[in-house]
Amino acid sequence: MKRLLSSNCLWITIVLLILLIFPWIQRSQYSQHVMVMTMMAAVLASSWNILGGYAGYTSLGHAAFFGLGGYLVALAHNHFGWHPFISTWFLAFIVTGVALILGWISLRTQGSAFVVVTIAMVFIFRIVALNLASITNGARGLTQARPGWAGVPWSPEFIKIPFHYIMLLLLCLTIFVSWRIRQSKFGLGLIAIREDEGKAEAVGINTMLYKVLAFGISAYFMGVAGGIYSYFFTYIDPQFIFDIFTGVTMVLIAILGGRGTLWGPVLGAFIMEPLGNWIIGTFGGTQIHLTIFGAILLIVMLFMPQGILPTLSEVIRQRGKVKLAKVPS
Amino acid sequence: MPEKNMLEVNHISKAFGGIKAVDDCSLCVERGSITGLIGPNGSGKTTLFNMVTGFYPPDSGTISLNTQPIQNLLPSQICHRGIGRTFQITRLFWKMTVLENMIVPVRHTGWRTLFSRGVKRHEEERAMELLDLVGLTQYRDEEAGKLSFGQQKLIEFAAILMSDPELILLDEPAGGVNPVMIEKIMELVDDLNQQGKTFLVVEHNMRLVMELCQQIVVLDHGQKIAEGKPAAIQNDPIVLEAYLGSTNHAGT
Repeated sequence: MKRLLSSNCLWITIVLLILLIFPWIQRSQYSQHVMVMTMMAAVLASSWNILGGYAGYTSLGHAAFFGLGGYLVALAHNHFGWHPFISTWFLAFIVTGVALILGWISLRTQGSAFVVVTIAMVFIFRIVALNLASITNGARGLTQARPGWAGVPWSPEFIKIPFHYIMLLLLCLTIFVSWRIRQSKFGLGLIAIREDEGKAEAVGINTMLYKVLAFGISAYFMGVAGGIYSYFFTYIDPQFIFDIFTGVTMVLIAILGGRGTLWGPVLGAFIMEPLGNWIIGTFGGTQIHLTIFGAILLIVMLFMPQGILPTLSEVIRQRGKVKLAKVPS
Repeated sequence: MPEKNMLEVNHISKAFGGIKAVDDCSLCVERGSITGLIGPNGSGKTTLFNMVTGFYPPDSGTISLNTQPIQNLLPSQICHRGIGRTFQITRLFWKMTVLENMIVPVRHTGWRTLFSRGVKRHEEERAMELLDLVGLTQYRDEEAGKLSFGQQKLIEFAAILMSDPELILLDEPAGGVNPVMIEKIMELVDDLNQQGKTFLVVEHNMRLVMELCQQIVVLDHGQKIAEGKPAAIQNDPIVLEAYLGSTNHAGT
């Protein structure tokens, strides 16, 4: 805790304060909406980063857990009247359970084979959701009642605010867990796996256990975010929520900001998500934002393959060195 | 009274397709000894290492450490039982710092420790002691991949010691290392042996093997062809033939 506070204390506090008062200074529904989606993107990218960044296993299929969380929460809301803001935290443990089993199977593969297996995972979930119509309502999707509390729906002016705060809470929790992992023996082991899995096993790390655990933990936050998301839109369908593009976007965001770093995925989300919305707003609902995303990713990969954050901190470090070197003369 | 033999390998075989890399091979490593494992290239030494450390399951035969069978365990479990190994081609976590490379092998069990602080004070102190032993303390915060080849070899060796193994398997510790460094490695192995560590060493540098090892096992084509004291091995006609070819053939 001390380290978190001492090293980045100042700017974390500032950003947190801005996020806390954001809905009260930005009254526009659109800005509030974009902010919720941005924080969600940060949650997804950060939790993807636990497996994909620390352990180096690129999953393009994390949308499966996002969607599963969404469905579980929507079903529990519709059938039992469980409020999504509360139920999502618990139902996400089911998502984790599913992820542990799927991870135990899929993490036997490595590299590109693992990528393909995870893509297949999303499509399997989608096909199941489409065809299990008695539960999921198939392609017609699931609709939930308008968001509110204790039977009273929130007014259109107010409706984004509760979502803003619950997403902020989730974001803080995700970053905290990611930070704790990064500082722990577990995190050290995950990074060792990324560097050389065979060597890690040779020096006593039960690599399978570490990987499956990382998979399960990252799926938890996916599930919670999916639950909140389904309530935010009050409507989900299989095409929409088990979307390969959701899985790809979080990977792009993490890579852009700095894969394997604590803050990189957050930074990436705060750049890409508002930018994407601005592009769609300006150029209309074409797929032009995908083209631009692709171009940005290409540029980043070419000129700062480590991502924005590591490159920036390296530049600052070098500058600092130069300054220090100049002082004695 | 502990068993005399720390490691017992009984009739193990391993084939890759049609090639019998190790063929019905048995050997023992005595507690407290430095045992050498030599043989021409492709004679199965590294395959044997990989089976002992759990990387390849043997096709048949048993391996036991302190009389406990270990041939079905994961490499990580075997490491926890007390066998540490280095690799023929040095393997480190290249982008991690030297200190982190030292800390990863620290043995730990239980969920609480798993989520506890990655680098603890006493672990760091122990790591620095071992880095001091190999004379590389000043590189603690360097990326391991940036060090020289010889330094990396020493780091790998020092890192193995962090898990405090009883038996240490060295796969060509002197391979590609300059003569001064070889002296240093020999001295280290000898010192650690005095402190009670047992070694099994694969090496092509015959001076190192003959000076350091008390017992030598010779493999050829996956089979054990000789076993004994260095002096006896040096004059064994079968061994000479395996290495140099038979005198009859040399003439033709």
